[in-house]
Amino acid sequence: MSMNLEESPTTEGEVITNYTINFGPQHPAAHGVLRMVMELDGEVIERIDPHVGLLHRGTEKLIEQKTYLQALPYFDRLDYCSPLAMEHTWVLAIEKQLNLEVPLRAQYLRVLFAELTRICNHMLNMGAHILDVGAFTPNLWIMDLREDCLNFFERASGARMHSAWFRPGGVHQDVPEKLLVDIGDWLDNRFFQLFEDAMSLVMDNRIFKQRNVDIAVVSREDAIAWGFSGPMIRAAGLPWDLRKSQPYDVYDRMEFDIPVGTNSDCYDRFMVRVKEVYESAKIIRQCLRDMPSGPIASSDTKVVPPKRGEMKQSMEALIHHFKLYTEGFHVPAGEVYVATESPKGEFGVYLVSDGTNKPYRCKIRPTAFSHLQAMDFMSKGHMLPDATAILGAIDVVFGECDR
Amino acid sequence: MAVLHSAPKFASNEGVIDAISETISVWLIEAHESHGEVIFRVQRDAIARVLQILRDDHAYQQMMEIAGVDYPERAERFEVVYMLQSLTKNHRVMVKCSASEDTPVPTVTTLWPNAGWLEREVFDMFGVTFAGNPDLRRILTDYGFEGHPFRKDFPMTGYTELRYSEEEKRVVYEPVVLAQEMRTFDFLSPWEGADYVLPGDEKSRGAPAVAEPKVTEKQGDTGAGKAADKAAAEKVSPPGPEQKDTGKPAPGAPDPTSKEGGR
Repeated sequence: MSMNLEESPTTEGEVITNYTINFGPQHPAAHGVLRMVMELDGEVIERIDPHVGLLHRGTEKLIEQKTYLQALPYFDRLDYCSPLAMEHTWVLAIEKQLNLEVPLRAQYLRVLFAELTRICNHMLNMGAHILDVGAFTPNLWIMDLREDCLNFFERASGARMHSAWFRPGGVHQDVPEKLLVDIGDWLDNRFFQLFEDAMSLVMDNRIFKQRNVDIAVVSREDAIAWGFSGPMIRAAGLPWDLRKSQPYDVYDRMEFDIPVGTNSDCYDRFMVRVKEVYESAKIIRQCLRDMPSGPIASSDTKVVPPKRGEMKQSMEALIHHFKLYTEGFHVPAGEVYVATESPKGEFGVYLVSDGTNKPYRCKIRPTAFSHLQAMDFMSKGHMLPDATAILGAIDVVFGECDR
Repeated sequence: MAVLHSAPKFASNEGVIDAISETISVWLIEAHESHGEVIFRVQRDAIARVLQILRDDHAYQQMMEIAGVDYPERAERFEVVYMLQSLTKNHRVMVKCSASEDTPVPTVTTLWPNAGWLEREVFDMFGVTFAGNPDLRRILTDYGFEGHPFRKDFPMTGYTELRYSEEEKRVVYEPVVLAQEMRTFDFLSPWEGADYVLPGDEKSRGAPAVAEPKVTEKQGDTGAGKAADKAAAEKVSPPGPEQKDTGKPAPGAPDPTSKEGGR
């Protein structure tokens, strides 16, 4: 073992060597399998080298072997805290290449469930962040709200997490009317009561502020240069939100605000997420109010499979069903890069098609890559326990980071 | 073509190609717009210079992604694609260059610090090297991994698998053993552009040449004729025993139903 016998500035005359510790891969505050090699001077972080890839499953290579529809469930398993947001990017990328029109009701349903996913994701992230800096109760309370969201997903798609509900051309199935009523009811009568209770415990809490305020301050210039997105760039004071600036589906019909931070520290990142939850609720209410009735998937029979009832009556529908579930649809050759505002930031798909039924290459842009990479410069000079707060405020999920 | 899809809409692409092409024309190989994306193909050696011009003169402040793509049939098989985003103009462009295993691409870590990991990933997955990247380690694959898994000629199953060995009390690496053959289905329909021949179809493409064609010159060669007709007329098996009506019911048969015929 080699020792670096440098004189340390924090001790008077006494020689203490810097030492290196492993944070993770099995660490409850690492939010998954993250290994960080930390070089410490006493308790002060000198350098962090995050080692990612422990959850690398080769999703992009697997997708090359699957048809466009078969590749969809892999997206649920990327960021497993916000599965529908991942699917959203994938279906939009396919639709962009096909230039496929999506009926209005399907667009509303997608936006509604994407925002519900955002709430669901923020409940988990904020709970975990609070837990990481020492408070226990709020996590239990808002985890309950996440459970409600998962129940809504289950009622729409049959699955709590890995829904596979967004489809190229629309959504898989229409939702029961009662579900929409219940979501509105939940927002009116349950959600904010619990959420505000939980937040009142932390927002002005002295310990919570001591652990988060002025931790990992990132300037605007750095946030841009490091490719930040989502709450990380908004906390730096840039009102940049792809839902607003590059709207997709019916986001251009929605009225909502973009909360921004002023101080660009972990506390601001947390507060941006708190405010985003209110904005998401606003969008959900508008969706519930304005959602038209009508078809929930495109009428292009070469992409969207027929309904079961049609299949029993029409030979053509039966053939389409067979062809779509074996061969799949063909996507014209070309390449697109489609990025949407996932709860964690810009989630992008670079899709190269060669005109066959399978993608030639699908590159997934994880949000966590640029944020986690900045971990080193964000933590420099902070204390060891601050690393968990910084990590919590990044909102990192390794299914997506490692792919 | 009218835009029907509802994918993210950024600022118009109109005039973007001309404006940018003008400033990077020395290194530009080709520029086009398709599917609503603006794509520039530039010379590899100038990629850092081009991206710097795009960042400083055209306000593409953010580098969101670097993607590698493998085209094994090309002379320079890899493509490195840079996705740039302008926060002020609300616009995206793609810039790409080609590379092979032994032609390093100039790094852009000098322009954007987050390029470091993105270049590491392209290196790890495809084996494209980046000249000037100070930390070009593998990033996603295992410690000590060999090969570049996202190349098209790298098998899906990989070459090694690992498990925890109870005897050795550690993780051991072994060659991949598949309990069942890897199942890949090709559903491309045979009448729509598949480039392989289905079993039996080769016969339709003209009969294969034979040294001595087989022909029948006399009727006898075919086996037809009087002898064959006679044989065909003969009964193959003797007839069964004759059926006689004795008027008595067969032993063990049920009693006949009444004349009214039941209900």
